[in-house]
Amino acid sequence: MGLAERVIQLLLNGLMSGALLAVPAIGLTLIYAVLRFPNFAVAAHATVGAFAGYVANTRLGLPILPSVLCAFAVAGLLGVASDEIVLKPFRPAGPITTAIASVALTVALENVVRFGFGNELRGYDLPIARDWRLGAIRIGPQQVENLAIAIIAVAALFAFLGSTRTGKAMRAVADNPTLANIKGINADAIGRLASFAGMGLSGLGGMLIGLDTTIDPLTGFRTVLSVFAAAVVGGLGSVPGAVIGALTVGIGEELSLLFLSPEYRSVVGFLVILLVLTMRPRGILGQRAY
Amino acid sequence: MTRPIPHPSRRSLLRVAGALSVVGAAPRVVRAQGPTIRLGVLTPLTGAGGFDGPRMLKAMQAVAEEINRNGGLLDRKIELVVEDDETNPEAAVRAARKLIDVDKVPVIMGTWASAVTTAVAPLCWESKTFLTTVSGADSITQLPHQGYLIRTQPNTQLQAGKQAEFIASMGMKRVFLMSIQAPFAAPTQARLADVLKQNNAELIGSLIYDKDKTTYRSEVDQALRDNPDLIYLNGYAPDVTILLRDLYRAGYAGARFAQSYAVTSKVLESLPAEVTEGVYTVQPSADVGSPAFELAAKRLGIPQPDSYEAQATDWTSLVSLAIAKAKEATGTAMRDNVRKISQGPGTKVYSAIEGLKLLAAAGEVNYEGASGPCDFNEIGDILDCKFRYQRVEKGKFTFLKIV
Repeated sequence: MGLAERVIQLLLNGLMSGALLAVPAIGLTLIYAVLRFPNFAVAAHATVGAFAGYVANTRLGLPILPSVLCAFAVAGLLGVASDEIVLKPFRPAGPITTAIASVALTVALENVVRFGFGNELRGYDLPIARDWRLGAIRIGPQQVENLAIAIIAVAALFAFLGSTRTGKAMRAVADNPTLANIKGINADAIGRLASFAGMGLSGLGGMLIGLDTTIDPLTGFRTVLSVFAAAVVGGLGSVPGAVIGALTVGIGEELSLLFLSPEYRSVVGFLVILLVLTMRPRGILGQRAY
Repeated sequence: MTRPIPHPSRRSLLRVAGALSVVGAAPRVVRAQGPTIRLGVLTPLTGAGGFDGPRMLKAMQAVAEEINRNGGLLDRKIELVVEDDETNPEAAVRAARKLIDVDKVPVIMGTWASAVTTAVAPLCWESKTFLTTVSGADSITQLPHQGYLIRTQPNTQLQAGKQAEFIASMGMKRVFLMSIQAPFAAPTQARLADVLKQNNAELIGSLIYDKDKTTYRSEVDQALRDNPDLIYLNGYAPDVTILLRDLYRAGYAGARFAQSYAVTSKVLESLPAEVTEGVYTVQPSADVGSPAFELAAKRLGIPQPDSYEAQATDWTSLVSLAIAKAKEATGTAMRDNVRKISQGPGTKVYSAIEGLKLLAAAGEVNYEGASGPCDFNEIGDILDCKFRYQRVEKGKFTFLKIV
């Protein structure tokens, strides 16, 4: 394999892993944009989504697409409930306190999953297909499917934010909560909607990661650092920023393999954060929600 | 002013004597009522070791219960204080601090991951707490642990050497090693390269990968570039599962080799059979067929305890026998007495209760465990062990051999 082919392969791999990362990163950033705190419980919601999809797929026998919707819905509803019951009371104490509470929440939820399902690795009822080959380049059918699902989910969110009345209201709350309030927008309802969509996307992201690998109660926790990195690089609070951030982290980590040993791959993600934040402290796209 | 000491009445004396005689006639179990002897368990109930940890815990509990049912240890009951190390060094250090400082246990049994044991060991020897482990990295017994550590697992040198011989005996000439970032990675690589070379094979390349990744496609590309006959996946279950998938997707048709803790029966369930077909696994073998092994199987109610359950059985037995020998439950007593009951000219015993009876009668014992002879060198490594090889066929393990 020549250098050019290697670079193309690494770019492709990076694009795939970046797209997977983008889905929960958008969830994190959307919640941040509206509710103004980094909700680390995306980790547990990604796990819950992955398990909800698992139950739908293996126990109820549903195909992958309805299972993915299940993952979204269950994680989203749980997101609304956990925010209302657990995190809302913390919000007056400030974003840092609420963020810490969200870490506690994620540990608690993860253990609930562990209590119900145990620690074992589980796989979806899904055949594993060999990669397609285009010359020396290879692409996995499952990855292409995941990429398509991720693109559809992100496109749907963009359409929602861009062209529906509620979506515009959400952007208004994100941009200026006081002004939005004066205009009569119900910030509480918008907050709940943001929790639903954000955590739903995390759950969907968790299931997409699981489709490509296996799931266990730590599925979400393992990726939360990269997810957070992606959101911060893109500009915490900016939805398109999360996509760009995720692709930057994903592709950056892969391309680093050209000159670094794989054991340092994670470091690259954080070097990217350092570099971007040094030059643009508010992330690549700043903090405008959309 | 002095108060006259009341004379006990004849009736109350009789009552006391009667009560004493009842206690004397009662089985030893009833008498083991003093304060309990607390033994610490620190094992991965969650994380990558979450498959082995709970089973090791059960094995330790089974031995402790058996001892308690048969009169206890130094006439006291054993109480296991259990903490989860989460297969994570930071969590493990916090839990170990709690066991040592709050529960004041003289021993910590059950650390699994090498990184965890490496983190916890200094706390143990500093506080004169005995530590028993299954971690394989060579560096662990080379720590300045002053004797406060034994491991029942063969070290990396012993393991990698035997594995290299097995791989070469299968006719594999070109071997590639993919290791997780862990203390055993580098020593395994060095030893594997040496022994393969002695057996007319070659380690053509190796890489160390980062854990917690959702895909290893690029790493797999790197491994396949060298066209290996066999790829040794030296990681833990979550990452090896992903590697197996990615190797399958890449169309790799050569052999794959992994430790049995990385390819468990749960891993086989979670992957389609065609992905795992033909994977070779190795594990230090329990001493299958030995009397201690048969007893452990009976105690646990399972036909074939694996190496980890056997080793966990042996820790609780060794620790209890060392306490009985020293007549005190301290880490230093265990350090000074564990070799007196595990090796040497004493009568061979195959369970803790058998050994405790002999020690109570002032005999000498040599504990022969379910995991092997349990003879330790001066740095706490076992001297000998068997290895069990299996191959995955149609999603099930098939036994190849025990060497």
